Parts: sequence; structure tokens; C-alpha cells
Amino acid sequence: MRILRSFGLALCILAAGGVLSLVLPEYHLRLLNLSVVASIAVIGLNIAFGYVGLISLGHAAFVGLGAYIMAISTTRLGLSPWLAMPAAVAATAAFAVAIGLPLLRLKGHYLALATLGLNVSFVIVASNWLEMTGGTNGIAQIPSFSILHHAISDERSFLWLALVSLTLVVVVATLLHHSRYGRALISVRDDELAAEMTGIDTTRLKIMGFAFSAAYAAFAGCLFASHVRFISPEDFSYAHSINYLAMLIVGGEGTIVGAILGSVLLTFLPEWLRFLGNAYLALFGLLVFLVLVFLPTGIVGLRKFVRGPSRVDRSVQAAAEVRP
Amino acid sequence: MQITRKAFLKSIAALCVAPMAGVPARAEGGGEILVGATVPMTGPLSLTGLQYLNSLRLAEENINKTGGINGRKLKIVFEDTQGSNSTAVNAYVKLAQETKPAFFFLSSYSTQNLAVSPEVKKVQVPAMYAGGADAIAEGGNDWMFRLRPTDSVAAAGMVACVTTVLKARKVGILYIQNDFGQGGAASAVKALEAQSVVVVGREAYGQTDKDFSAQIINLRNKGAEAVLLFNYPQDGALVLRQYKALGMKAPLVGSSSLYVTATMQLLSPADLENTFCVLDTLVDPAMSPRMKDFIEQYRAKFGNDPDPYGLAYYDGAFLMADAMRQAGLDPAALQKWLLTQKSWDGIGHNYAYDSKGNGVHEVVIVKTKAGSKALELVKKVTLS
Amino acid sequence: MADFFQLAINGFAIGGVYALAAIGFVIVYEATGVVNFAAGQFVMFGTFAGVAALVNAQLPWPIAYAAALFAMAAFGVLFFLLVYWPLKLSPAVTVIIGTVAISITMQNAALLVFGSWPVRIPSPLEGMTVEVGGAVVSVHALLTMAITALLVGGLWFLLHRTSFGIGMRAVAQDVQAARLMGLKVGRVLAMSWVLGALLAGAAGLLLGPMWFADVNMGDPVALKAFAATIIGGFGSLPGAVVGGIFVGLSEVLGASYISSAYKDLISFGIMIGFLFVRPQGMFGEKIQDRG
Repeated sequence: MRILRSFGLALCILAAGGVLSLVLPEYHLRLLNLSVVASIAVIGLNIAFGYVGLISLGHAAFVGLGAYIMAISTTRLGLSPWLAMPAAVAATAAFAVAIGLPLLRLKGHYLALATLGLNVSFVIVASNWLEMTGGTNGIAQIPSFSILHHAISDERSFLWLALVSLTLVVVVATLLHHSRYGRALISVRDDELAAEMTGIDTTRLKIMGFAFSAAYAAFAGCLFASHVRFISPEDFSYAHSINYLAMLIVGGEGTIVGAILGSVLLTFLPEWLRFLGNAYLALFGLLVFLVLVFLPTGIVGLRKFVRGPSRVDRSVQAAAEVRP
Repeated sequence: MQITRKAFLKSIAALCVAPMAGVPARAEGGGEILVGATVPMTGPLSLTGLQYLNSLRLAEENINKTGGINGRKLKIVFEDTQGSNSTAVNAYVKLAQETKPAFFFLSSYSTQNLAVSPEVKKVQVPAMYAGGADAIAEGGNDWMFRLRPTDSVAAAGMVACVTTVLKARKVGILYIQNDFGQGGAASAVKALEAQSVVVVGREAYGQTDKDFSAQIINLRNKGAEAVLLFNYPQDGALVLRQYKALGMKAPLVGSSSLYVTATMQLLSPADLENTFCVLDTLVDPAMSPRMKDFIEQYRAKFGNDPDPYGLAYYDGAFLMADAMRQAGLDPAALQKWLLTQKSWDGIGHNYAYDSKGNGVHEVVIVKTKAGSKALELVKKVTLS
Repeated sequence: MADFFQLAINGFAIGGVYALAAIGFVIVYEATGVVNFAAGQFVMFGTFAGVAALVNAQLPWPIAYAAALFAMAAFGVLFFLLVYWPLKLSPAVTVIIGTVAISITMQNAALLVFGSWPVRIPSPLEGMTVEVGGAVVSVHALLTMAITALLVGGLWFLLHRTSFGIGMRAVAQDVQAARLMGLKVGRVLAMSWVLGALLAGAAGLLLGPMWFADVNMGDPVALKAFAATIIGGFGSLPGAVVGGIFVGLSEVLGASYISSAYKDLISFGIMIGFLFVRPQGMFGEKIQDRG
């Protein structure tokens, strides 16, 4: 039943996005594109954080890794973006497994600090490995995707590509969520010890969740690279990791709808509030903080004012109560 | 209180769409001529950004005071790029769509310029920018016009200072790890080797570093007779202080941000002894009466001194005004007119555009007068 | 050899600042279990409290320093009431993200008030240097190290030899038990935030004249202080000091003998290495996931 509803959600995204793509002007199309790309990254973060409970302050490094592999293989090796993208996603997932093996033995703030260190290290390497990454000058002229010789370079057609990607990602994430494996993931988050006692291999599960999350990030990174067509280390600094986390929290952790709502809101909000100038970021921090205090289940949590609390809310609350 | 889910979702959707609607469409007819400027007004880059925000405002006022563009007033619409490439592109696309300006000014940060470049190509309206990276012009975007010397021209100026003024044969390079420092250091090495000057060491530091003793001592031990420094304002001031504290005797040649106001206010005249700096141009009242007017007006209006970045945009605005007066508002005509300028007489430079949209091919070597922070010209360097 | 000595001294000086920042962070963690990701902005606030008192208000030295530290103590109370208290029952993750969010607000509030221009703060020891074994050292840097040592000693005494400190450690170990023992838990928690803010304030005041003040200075200091804490061991005072100096030394010596471009990778690499092999750091607690 819930799976059906999520497929409904996927269809809604396609339909709503399709309509918007016809009526919106260029600037808002661009912002919509940015939010769809961010949504994909945040849905990935939701797998690691919302499902498995791994705090990552280094998600942008995985987005960046995907983007860089894509950019380097298309501009240097002349690979088609269609081939470069799966390669980038696979390589990033493999990297996540490799790094997850030692990393995921850590928990809580240790993991947060370790992933933060990972993100900082990624930016240092990307800024200094001049021969490969072009240093802080970045990589320009990344090719767009093209279908039958039609380059997906304008905002409108890119939106279609992005929406199809988002739909795909939502469907995969939903199937994952409701699979035996997905339930096992959530049980690890809720109570690791209990999960272990029922015979679940928690380490393996956590690494798988982490790898999935990284693969989503890399996918978003590839889309980002072919959308903006220029990447530099600054695009993947840890400030972006914090932003992804904020999107998830404002939207509502543990839910796909929340991930999407948060991404859209926090992409548009700074643009709506341009007139605030320097005050915007001060306000942004405060807003996230207030959401944490008053709306711990994010915008999605507002639903309970509409109808009683849903199952998701209850499981989130339960999880919050279980953890010390 | 009974709210259905549908109603709830509807109101969310309405909230999302509301700010998108009602975009003010400004007529292009006979009224004001609109110009768009994307400037880092907030965030860490605003230190330099405010200089050209102010300069463009001053230019707008002065152009309108003297009759505008063939009787029509000029209006510059500003959008903030903050410190982020993505926001810079958002700002540009917003202006392009909502304001539909006849001309653009982009920021002075190379990565922002590189990120915006594909959009400029799509919009097909001329844009002036001040990022130094050579890569921007190499991208083959013939709608972009540079208002400042490229980083390689500036680096060549620093090399000229080493070879002709200081006559040093062994040079050390110290650079900040960003697009500017890495690019500048690389082109300096190339230029030095071409003149068979030995580069004894290349040392890097991070943008937020506070201790440079390791790098400075390394260069000293490698026997550098002169040091080239590629810096941003604050780190430049710190490097200089530690350079003096460590008792370095080799003269230091800094890049343009060493002598900008933001750096100079942190330093004493003694800190600046035995240093040189390669600037786009010397912003000094003694240079010309027009320069004097600009400096006095800027000071009176904004309460601090203009720097070469500000002057570049001021000149750029007047260059654009001339273009509009003579070629009209058609983007292609403006582009063609700019490309044919081979000696446009600005306050800071003689602008001569090549096919890649580089308009400035000269820099100046300056130093401070003994015991003061006032600058004096050592030499002008022109490169082809 | 003189060079090595010079580099080591500079490494110690910069490490001392990291150590102070790390201690402020550790003391809060010890008592409240909160990992304060806004720790870097606390240091920045300390520096700018100095800017306000010394540069803007032009107060004489002793009064200016006292005023700045008083302002930091008041800020500690404010932070306790407005940030810590509302989140005190939330899961650790939420608290981490809460402090990250507030850190963004703090940085940009400072930007609104003080602007983006870097400021030079004078030191009472302006321009004084001494030569030790061929190395030139500023007296201010030496004093910074001395004050760091003093503060660490005083703190150790406070925590281990006074009833307040023992109460603080009791609260850290078990809030319920401490409450049953009749400790005023709220007051103890508030005091630990005040202590943390004061230490960060001292770090900020001391580093201002060495580094210039700018509103973006917090994050880089925080990152190094985090690395120092992990290397030294979470929740350990000697660990924070040793870790801070270790990071300072690795930065300066790494830049000299390995590579200046990759020197930051050295400290973060060592930090990640410690996390993999010995997450409790050199002196830290054994438990992996507290809080």
C-alpha cells in the first residue's frame, strides 16, 4: 500500500515537474533543476542518516567525487557522459565501501568528525592535484548529456532529465525502504544491539547503506557537473555537506517526501531572501535551529496537524526516544 | 479545525509558486537603459566586491549627470553572487531573465566567471568581467570582455620586476592555494624559466593559514635572492609581517592585493620596506587629472580609497557607455564595437581588445615611498 | 638546527592556540556531553570582544580584557539558556546539527556587526621579540604559551581539587545520580558553558594580535581544534593540549619537511588514522559513543 503511494508520489513529481517546465521562466527552471539535483543527493543522505542513523558531515565529498570522475572522464578521456556517469557512480560506491570498512565502526560525534575530516581532505586533494583536477580553477566545458544528437543543455530539457532521474531514484529508494533489507537497516538505526541479537550483520548493513548513499550522491554530482558544466573544489566544501543535512532535517528526516521538500525549500529560500543580504545566513542558521527545536520531524511533521500522526512520525519519535 | 490533506498540499504548492509569479517585466522602450551587475556584496569575497559595487554606482551617477546615453538614463541593477559559484550563476540568470539588461558586469573572481561563462554564451549579451584566470578567455566565449590584465600578464610583470629592477638570478615563489595563486605561480615559473632565471623553490599556503614560517625559511635556505608572492589581502599582510620578523633580506614582489587598502591598513610603513608590488595601475591623484577626480569623488562618496579593481569597473562602465552611444543597444553591434577598440582611453589603461576579449596588456611595478605608505611608480610594463 | 628550533617554536605557538580552543570545547563536552560545533565561533567572538573593547571603545588594556572576558561569560550563559537548554533532551545528532546551525548564525551576526574587513588588534607587547638560540620569537607568542599552560593547570586544579569541579565531573558521569546527591545540576551545566566560553574567549583574545581579526576565522580554528581533540582523545584535558600542540607542530614541520601544499592533509590524515586505529586518541575515554 505504502509502496503504491510512493509510486504515486513519483508520478506526481513527473506530472508536476512537467507542467512547471512548461510555464516557468528560465531562472526558476534553473532553481528547480538545482533543487532536483540536490533532492537526489539528499535522498541518498536520507539512506545513511534517516534510515541507518549514520551522521555524515561529508556527503558533499561523495557528490564531488562523482562530479570529478564524470568531469575528468568526459573532458580528458572523451568518454560519453552516458558511460561516464555509471562509472562515476560505481567508483564512488566502491570508494564508500573501502572507506566505510574502518570508518563505520565509529558512531555519533566520532563519525561526524571523521566524515567532516574526510570532506576537508577531499577539498585539499581536489585543490592541489593540479594535473588531474585542475586545482582550484576547476574543470570547465563539461559536456551535456545528449539524446539522439539533441544536447540537453537548456534548462527546460535538463529539467526533464533531472525529473526522470529523480523519479527513478525515488522508486529505488522506496523499494529499498520496504524491502527486507530496508527494514533491517532501520532496525539497526533504532536499536543496533537488538538488531545484532536477531542475527543481523549490522556492520555489513551499515556499509551497504553508506555505499548506497554515496552512489546517490555521485549520481547527483554527475547531474550537477553536466548542468553547470563547470566544477571546482569550492562546490563540494563541507559547508555544502551541512546544507544537505539541513535540507534533510528541515524537510523531515527518514522520509523521501521530506528530503525532496527540504531540498526545494532550501534551494529557493536563499533566492527569495536575496534582499536580506548578509542577514540571510544568520537567519538560515536560526531557522534550522528553530526547526530542530519545534519541528523535530521537519516540514513533513506538519502533516500531523492535518491528520493524526502517521506511522513514519511514530517510528521517528520512537527512535528519538530510544536513543540516549 | 479540519484541513484535508489535499488542501494542505495545495497551500504548500501555492506557497512555492507564489514568489515565482508576478515577475516585474521592465520595458526596454524609451526609458532607462538597464545594465545588470553581479557582485559579491556579502560573504568573504565582498571585501573586494564592495569596491566595484561602489565604483559602478559612482559611474552610473556620473554618466547620468552628463546626459546619460544619448539622453536616456542608465540604471545598474545589482545582484549578489556571495562567495559561491552556484549563487553567481543564479544571480546572472535572474538578471538575464527578470531585468533583461542590455549589458552585464560580472564579478572579479575567476571561478565565478568560469561558472557563469556557459550562461553568458546562451544569453548572448556582452559582459565585462575582472577575473584574472587565463582559462576564462581560452574557453572561446566571445561575449566576455576582460577589464583587467590576465594573471599571466600580471605574473609577467612580477617577473619583469625580478629581472629588470632587482636583477635577481635565483627566485623563490610563495603562493596562496586558490585559482589565483596556483595560476599565477604556474605562469611565473614558465616566464622565469624562459628568461633562464632559476626558480629555487615553490611554496604554497592555504587560504586560512596563519603561520608561514616554514615556507619562508625554506625559501631562504634555498638561496632565493627575491621572492614572488601571490596573495590575497589578509594573508598577504600576515606573510609580510612574518617575513620581516624572520629577518628576510631578499626583496619581496607581491601581487596586486598586497597594496590594496584592505591589506595596507593592517601594515606599518616599516613592514612595507623592501617590497614591490605589481598593480594593474597606480591609483594616485598625481597620475592624471581624471584619476584625481575619480579618487576625490570616490573618497567623498564612500569614505575610503578606491583600488585598481574599483577603477577597472569604473572605466568599464564608461567604455560600455561609449559603446552604447556609438553602436546602439543591439548586443551583436555592441560586441563588434568592443572588439574593434584598439586604443580606448580609460583612466587606468588604454583598452585594446584582442580576439579573446582581453583588453588590458599592461601593469605597473610600484613600491612605497621610504617611511610612508604612499606609493610610487617604479616602472610600467607593457606586454604583447 | 636554528631553523628547526624556529619552526618548533612557531609550531608550539600556533599549537597553543589550537589547544586553548580545544580545551574550551572539551570542557563543555566533559560536563554536558554536547559536541559543540560552534566552538570555532566562540573563539571568533572572543577575538571580536577584544576588537570591540580595544579598537572600537579604546579602553585601556586591563579593563578591555576584563570587559571582553565578562562579555564572553555572559555569552556562555546566553548560549546555555537559548541553545543548550531547548535541545538538552534531543538525540545527539540533533544537538550536533543544532550547534552547526547556530555557528552559521554566530558567524554571520558578527559579519553584520563588524563587517568583512580584517582588523589589526594591538598587543600590549606590540613588536617585542626575543632571540632564543638563533630563533626570533615574539614575546606575545611566548606569553600565549605561558598563559595556556597556566589555564590548563588552573583548570586541572578546578576539576580535580575543588568541590565544584568534582560536582561537574559527577554530573558528566550520571545526571540522575548527581541530582539525587543534591547537586544543583542546572547550575553546574551552566557553569561549564561559561567556562567553555571563557576559555574560547581567552584563546580569541590571545590570537587576535598574532593573526588579525576577521569574522571568518572561526571555522579554520575549529577544524584544527577538532583534529586536536580526536588525536589527543575526546574529553581529555591533557589530550586537548597535546593534540593541539601536535597539530600545530605537524602543520609547521610538515610544511617545511614534507609539502607545504599538502600540510593540512597531514593533520587531518593523522586524525582519520587515529579514528580508524585508536578512536579514543592518546589519552581519551574508552567508550566510543557517548552522548
